[in-house]
Amino acid sequence: MNMIKKIPRKRLVFLFILSTVLVSSIYFVYHNHAFYQDPIVEVTKVTIIDEQEVTDGQGHIDIIYTQAIEGKLKNSLQKGERVYLENEFSQSRVYHPEFQVGDDVFVTIDQVQEGDDLTGSIIDAKRDHYLLLVGWFFMLVLIAVGRRQGLFAVISLVVNAVLISLALDVYIATNDVTLLFIMSLAVIAMTALSLVLVSGLTHQTYAAIIATLIGTFSLLFITMLVLAMTNAEGLRFEEMEFLTRPPEAVFMAGILVGALGAVMDVAVTISSSLFSLYDKNHQISDHDLKQSGIEIGKDIMGTMTNILFFAYVSGTIPTLLVYFMNGAPLGFTLSLNLSLELTRALAGGIGIVLTIPIGLYTTIFFINRKRASV
Amino acid sequence: MNALVILTAILFFLMTLVGGKKGVRSFVALFINFLVLLVTILIMTDSNASPVILTAIACALISAVTLFFINESNVKTKTAFVSTIITTVLLLLFIQFVTDRVMVQGFGDEEVEGLTIYSFYLGIDFLQVATSVVIMSTIGAVTDEAISISSPMFEIHRHHPTISMSALFHAGMRIGKDLLGTSANTLFFAFFGGYLALLVRYKDLSYSFGQIINSKVFSAEMITILCAGIGVALIIPVTAAITSYVLVKKSPVDKS
Repeated sequence: MNMIKKIPRKRLVFLFILSTVLVSSIYFVYHNHAFYQDPIVEVTKVTIIDEQEVTDGQGHIDIIYTQAIEGKLKNSLQKGERVYLENEFSQSRVYHPEFQVGDDVFVTIDQVQEGDDLTGSIIDAKRDHYLLLVGWFFMLVLIAVGRRQGLFAVISLVVNAVLISLALDVYIATNDVTLLFIMSLAVIAMTALSLVLVSGLTHQTYAAIIATLIGTFSLLFITMLVLAMTNAEGLRFEEMEFLTRPPEAVFMAGILVGALGAVMDVAVTISSSLFSLYDKNHQISDHDLKQSGIEIGKDIMGTMTNILFFAYVSGTIPTLLVYFMNGAPLGFTLSLNLSLELTRALAGGIGIVLTIPIGLYTTIFFINRKRASV
Repeated sequence: MNALVILTAILFFLMTLVGGKKGVRSFVALFINFLVLLVTILIMTDSNASPVILTAIACALISAVTLFFINESNVKTKTAFVSTIITTVLLLLFIQFVTDRVMVQGFGDEEVEGLTIYSFYLGIDFLQVATSVVIMSTIGAVTDEAISISSPMFEIHRHHPTISMSALFHAGMRIGKDLLGTSANTLFFAFFGGYLALLVRYKDLSYSFGQIINSKVFSAEMITILCAGIGVALIIPVTAAITSYVLVKKSPVDKS
């Protein structure tokens, strides 16, 4: 009786808080220029002042544009003053973007004589407001479609990102602990958290957690064993981007974290479907459960390995294009740029397939425990 | 021996062992999809071809291989296929718009270092290439979710042939909601794993928070994660609607 009244009010409060946070965060991000140390200029006028057709060594035709930009300083001591900038971009925009009126850009201001026009050079675009808008859109779509589960998905994304970031902080602060060890601890925490968030504190969740952990660490063990046996032949660690640390360590930790989501997905699918079979028929035999579990596993294994494959390999498309279009040979380009991504995808795939029998036996173990306790 | 070859052999062995014939087909499908991706990239190098249209075609092929080759061609896979295509096109339009505004095409400062010996004046539109990267990253997950929703909906309809379209739609939505969390997690962790090196770099070189969130590479990764999340959410109502429409409207109630 009271419940019917309570639910909409709770939802109303939630919606009210959500929209308040939404509006104020958007207002903030559009007015946060004072918090940045680098000068920010809002583009008020752009004119293309030069256009030059270029042909590269391979005969590709491109046009290099130079745009003169007039803008207004949004922060720093000279706030409000007019600034003149120049930006060069190519039609293909491989590196520099084309700026439009309304864009905000980070700049460095040149030293000029008193009374002269301010000039400067562009460092990069300000992107935080767009990121926030897309972030909100993401959140609203997930909540609109998934309601409670959508909200949980967003929460688990944020919490897991924070956990990974904290783990990296610990790694960087302490020099004597390996990244793999710290990430392993983080993996245990993230698995428990995400799965409890998905299906609550139940036998089914415990089965999924244990299956995930066994699956993830077995795939890590197999991958490490293979790499150790072959001296990581064929893997081009030197091609790893953004490196400031020994590549192998970062790479192995990446394999561990990267496969975790897929392995969890498999473990949850197996454990929840077996438990629902058990709930429908408490007398169901281990043999029947095994049979059904293998059938489910067969169904998901192909699409799951596909997910990881495309999530990893797609990121290399721009690099592959640059290599190919500069006339680099096919085999050389692929072995140089894809070896690490393929290793990640293969390791993840191994984890996915392994987790099917592991999930099966773990779940049956928990079902039998539940049976015994009833 | 080459580590990649051994890992591939292990994966093949495990897939055959656990999945039997279907496992072999799944492995072959993975290989075919790799070829589709590679050929798509090779065709993209032609500056007359539009990367976005090529990507849409490639996505259709990839999802067809995943759905019709691993499973078979039936009502379930057909509705999943149509739902995947519709979601992909919607997502393409959205991502194209976003990459244009956020300016995350091409390479960031951190990535350009390794490529300096190459010409960047390639004459193909890297805004479109950026869009295709995001779509391609998500296509596996979107296809997976489409079949995971349409297949149990089909079962529900088989057991209750008189179910109304809206009841079937809501059943599909419920199934989808249960999948949303784990599907989103699959993608999120895959991306986190791939970006670990980038995060270590930011922390090692003590970038400020402002520098990180405005940098091109980070923004590009975030856009990929967020759009992937939007994709796996969007596929749910699309699949639920199409499957319920096809099952209730198209097939007469007394068919089976």
